[in-house]
Amino acid sequence: MMRGGVRGRGGPRMGRGGYKMKTFVPRLPFDIYLCEPAFQRAKPAPDETPLQQALLKRNTDLSPSPTEQTAVLNLVTKIATVLDTLIVTPGSFDACQIEEHRQVGSYKKGTMRTNHNVADVVVILKTLPTREAVEALGNQVTEELRQQEPADVLVMAMLPNDRGFEISNSEATVRVLVTTVHQNLRKLDPELHLDQKILQSHLAAIRHSRWFEENAHHSSIKVLIRLLRDLKNRFEGFEPLSPWMLDLLAHYAVMNNPSRQAMSVHQAYRRCLQLLAAGLFLPGSAGIADPCEGGNIRVHTAMTLEQQDQVCLTAQTLLRALSHGGYKQVIGLEGNASIATDMTVWEGIVVSPLEKAYEKPPERKEGEPGDELADDDDMDMADN
Amino acid sequence: MAANNYFGFTHGGTQYGAAAAAAAGAAAYQATPAAGYAAVGHTPAAAATYAAQRATTAYEAAAAYQPAAATSYAATASSAPTYDYSYTRAQTYDNAAKTAAFYPQPTSTSFSAAADPAFQAKSSTTYTAGYQNAAARPAGQASKTYNYPAAGAAQSYTYPNQAAAAATANKNYSGYDAALYNAATLYVQQQAHTAPKGAGTWKASRPGVGATIGQKPKLKQPPKPQQLHYCDVCKISCAGPQTYREHLEGQKHKKKESAQKQTAGTTPNAPRGGNSLRCELCDVTCTGSDAYAAHIRGAKHQKVVKLHTKLGKPIPSTEPVVVPGKSTTTTAKTGAATTTAVTKTTEVTKVVATPKINFVGGTKLTTTTPTATAAAAGTAVKEEPKEAAAAAAPAAAAAAAPAVARDDTVAVAAAALGEKEVEPVGQEYIEEIKNEEGKVVSFNCKLCECRFNDPNAKEMHMKGRRHRLQYKKKVNPELIVEVKPSLRQRKLQEEKLRRQQMREEMWRRREESAMDDEERIYWEERRRYEEEMEYFEWCRRGAGRGMPPFGPMGPMGPRFGPIPPMLRRPDSADDRHVMAKHSEIYPKDEELNAIQKIVSNSEKALKMVSDDIAEADAPKKDDGTASESKDEDGKELPRTLKGVMRVGVLAKGLLLQGDADVQLVVLCAEKPTRTLLERVANLMPKHLATVTPDEKYALKLSVEQASLIITNQTEPQINVTVTLTSPLMRDGAADEPTASKDPPDVLDKQKCLEALAALRHAKWFQARASGVQSCVIVIRIMRELCQRVPTWTPLNTWALELLVERVVASAGFPLAPGDALRRVLEAIASGLLLPGTPGLIDPCEKEPVDTLSGLTAQEREDITASAQHALRLMAFRQVHKILGMDALPPPKFNRGKFNRKRRRDNSCSGENGDSEGGDGKKDKKEDESEAAKADAK
Repeated sequence: MMRGGVRGRGGPRMGRGGYKMKTFVPRLPFDIYLCEPAFQRAKPAPDETPLQQALLKRNTDLSPSPTEQTAVLNLVTKIATVLDTLIVTPGSFDACQIEEHRQVGSYKKGTMRTNHNVADVVVILKTLPTREAVEALGNQVTEELRQQEPADVLVMAMLPNDRGFEISNSEATVRVLVTTVHQNLRKLDPELHLDQKILQSHLAAIRHSRWFEENAHHSSIKVLIRLLRDLKNRFEGFEPLSPWMLDLLAHYAVMNNPSRQAMSVHQAYRRCLQLLAAGLFLPGSAGIADPCEGGNIRVHTAMTLEQQDQVCLTAQTLLRALSHGGYKQVIGLEGNASIATDMTVWEGIVVSPLEKAYEKPPERKEGEPGDELADDDDMDMADN
Repeated sequence: MAANNYFGFTHGGTQYGAAAAAAAGAAAYQATPAAGYAAVGHTPAAAATYAAQRATTAYEAAAAYQPAAATSYAATASSAPTYDYSYTRAQTYDNAAKTAAFYPQPTSTSFSAAADPAFQAKSSTTYTAGYQNAAARPAGQASKTYNYPAAGAAQSYTYPNQAAAAATANKNYSGYDAALYNAATLYVQQQAHTAPKGAGTWKASRPGVGATIGQKPKLKQPPKPQQLHYCDVCKISCAGPQTYREHLEGQKHKKKESAQKQTAGTTPNAPRGGNSLRCELCDVTCTGSDAYAAHIRGAKHQKVVKLHTKLGKPIPSTEPVVVPGKSTTTTAKTGAATTTAVTKTTEVTKVVATPKINFVGGTKLTTTTPTATAAAAGTAVKEEPKEAAAAAAPAAAAAAAPAVARDDTVAVAAAALGEKEVEPVGQEYIEEIKNEEGKVVSFNCKLCECRFNDPNAKEMHMKGRRHRLQYKKKVNPELIVEVKPSLRQRKLQEEKLRRQQMREEMWRRREESAMDDEERIYWEERRRYEEEMEYFEWCRRGAGRGMPPFGPMGPMGPRFGPIPPMLRRPDSADDRHVMAKHSEIYPKDEELNAIQKIVSNSEKALKMVSDDIAEADAPKKDDGTASESKDEDGKELPRTLKGVMRVGVLAKGLLLQGDADVQLVVLCAEKPTRTLLERVANLMPKHLATVTPDEKYALKLSVEQASLIITNQTEPQINVTVTLTSPLMRDGAADEPTASKDPPDVLDKQKCLEALAALRHAKWFQARASGVQSCVIVIRIMRELCQRVPTWTPLNTWALELLVERVVASAGFPLAPGDALRRVLEAIASGLLLPGTPGLIDPCEKEPVDTLSGLTAQEREDITASAQHALRLMAFRQVHKILGMDALPPPKFNRGKFNRKRRRDNSCSGENGDSEGGDGKKDKKEDESEAAKADAK
């Protein structure tokens, strides 16, 4: 139902329904690290060294090897050189004009994982990004790369959804994501150009990497991001979390405490799960405001309600497993992803998976005709 | 108008002088005419059809003519004044058109050619007269005397007409020609058909000048092709007189005629904005150089050219006439410049030759300039570009080479319009559509979504404005496309300007009025101030003591209005559900009353028991310790039963509906013993009876509980548990040695300690939890949850209270009930109960004690899981599932403030549904109407 979908985007309206003239005050969920004084330790802190070491080991496993890094670096440098040349001397190439190009994503942030040698480069076009232009650019870049080093086996492929193209050699891949300058975004024609949403996301990627450079350079954060990405890859329930959400979550977990000192990785790791379990990314929560967008956009509203439920549910189950000693399975040193979906026993304690709480609106309509009415009103408000 | 122009001539003399200086005199003269005539070569066919006595080719004829002109200009001293005159005149035309650097040699030459005979024959005055005459004549008349040999001159005349007088060019100049040369054409004959009177005029004017020219025989020659029926207005020929007449009566013709008449007063076919190019021959206005080029290439134009050639009518060159736009000054300049140029102009910047007259039938030329040689002309032509180069202009060069002229038409036309030659863009967006054989049959522009078959069209399209705009819009926003505001845009622009002006005006006025206000206030203040000062002065003088001077409190002084009421956060659905649930579980009044009654009765009875025991103990000294019974004053005596206190849910106000057990704690001076308990139990019935004679209470002694249970007999059955305890029990626990002294029948220590703890908890609760907003409500809700859901049951009341208080208080700001409940669930969901967390320290114990220690790991796990699910239910609007109730219907929105307040007042006991019964009907109506209003918005 369309209505439900729309409301899903508008997250804040959810869960707070009711009066028409309401003001939604998002609230951060309970976070024990922010109210530590209220919870003095009644018992000694448990020994967390095993967890810590397990995490560090996992991080080492996940980090790319120097050869991998070199391979990616080489390819990125070559492509950057070609793009620079195109900017300075376009020559006969007139399919598009390049404003600038920037490295973004995990390569730029230093959060790459092994066996995933993909670096992202965003190319900002001065001209409007037509599919033809993107393809021409891809061909041009590949052509010039081939001229430079004929020995290299290069493959150019267009990315799905017209995001751009990717150039890969035997060891590494560089994804060139195409976007255009801001003032062009208004002029886009969906028939002719790349999707505006995608273009905007590429622009956002640049802001993200810039923000990251300035704010999240602490290595704890980078390690945590790598671990969280791994977590996301292993557990299906975390699939909806975008890299940017993970970045922000890691930064939040490491840095957002009263002392403003970076927390250790194992604390932050547990805290991430705690925050998610406490509903940081649920409707009605203040979540994490996107630092790269105006207007206090909460990052988690990019997920649908169902996805939010799913993420929260998975985190809750994993948190319990982690608390009962299942850290190896959670971190990924042992076992598999079934711990999030199947009943497990840890030291005699039965940890059972949770059910979804989110119900699709049509079903709810039967149960709560009244609520639906209120929603309609809300929607009218939103539409007007 | 003509007179005006004419006048202008003499004025123009000075200007000319300046221009001449710049243009290197006679040489330039020669050069330009050459160029002008070169154009003749264009239409050799036309020339050929003409009189054989002229040079074999039109080119030669032109050449021959040119030198003649040149010589007559530069060389002949005798004709010099004449020449000057004519020249000046041409200059004036320019002048009229406001051309700055116009160099109208061609004009002048043609003039000289035309005027020479006139001067020779007659005087300038004659000429003037004729001219005026012609101009004054009605168009129809004038056109009768159409003279093509004079086309050159005619053309030069045209210029002022177009630019300044703005009459239909052809007719006027033909009139002029007629006046000057009295040359007859087939046209005359045609006109004679329609207006025989005109012929007379022509004849009349003829002797004036024409006689001197002596070209009559030649004039007579042309009538051969007069059989052709040519419509000048429509530029077509008709096969016979019949069709011709029909044509003349036809709608199309009439339309054109009237259109022509209408435009006679204004610029011909003035475009809406910007410039346009005009094909003089076909009287067609084109919006751009490309369009013009297309027209020139087009079949229609060719047809007209052919016709005109056949008729021997003057064929203006292909170089376009620029029709200036209405307002722009730049266009006026270029436009004027180009139009004036009769044959060829060399402008300093980008000027172009415009209406070059091809002297197709220049019969008189041969006579007038027999001396000229073709060779000379040839050189003149060749030299032309170089000499003209003084004034530059590649356009001129283009015009000079007639062979190329066709291809260059676009360039010339573009230059005429001041357009830049544009590079075709967006080739890659034009698809070639091929047929089965792979032959390109058409093109499709993806940007503009249009198709065309012609490769030329493709070329033009790529240069075209529309395509460029699309390209700019869709591919490269930096592409420069000249702005051509449409009529609507311009109107909008004007409108905007006007509005802005009005707004400024308004602001100005408002400012003024504001100033007035300020002034007034200022003076008002000033007046008050002075009055006050006078008053103080007076007081001071009168009373002799200075009053503390204080500043004038004008009417503007700060005024503290009532503080706006705190904005209440509107109820969320969670809040409403929580509150509804709360009111559901909150004990009913009768229950509360019953509890209140039995508790207060018990308390009174216990007080009396305490009194009794104290009285009994004081004299007898059989029970108390010796040291304590020493005191004389019974009142001062430390009683054995020091006091009774409410603890637990009763003290905390956490009673829920259906709660039947309340606790009282009696603090004893010493460690309570079984004896004491029994004694109290024995005394109680008597005193209870005295307190409430009409109530029956059952009393039960529970030694193992260290308590006495009082139960009432009436319906809401309530058990009051009275526990005896003593602070000494706790101290005793601290120091073991004294414990040995305990009386043998001392009551169960654990129970006594629990009672003491309960006392502390009650105190803590009153001090801490009851002050936290929503805390009590949430604890009640959670208590109910614990009672209802088995998973939660292991969580004891004290732990729950503590947990809720900590969690809610740690938010740092007041929470609405719904938010508070959610926060509690969040806290548990985040693993607050799970192993590895700090636990919940008990503030009422000396040692750090984890209040939650009573929970097993599995219980913690289950409670956590339950809370996690509950949290998500709450986030997804299913809080009613947690609370074990039905979802509430949404409140009626749009309630008026007062309406809502009233409801709140009378529905404090239960705000869901029921209370709306009374005034429901009326309200519904209101709500509906308001809802309708809201919808309408």
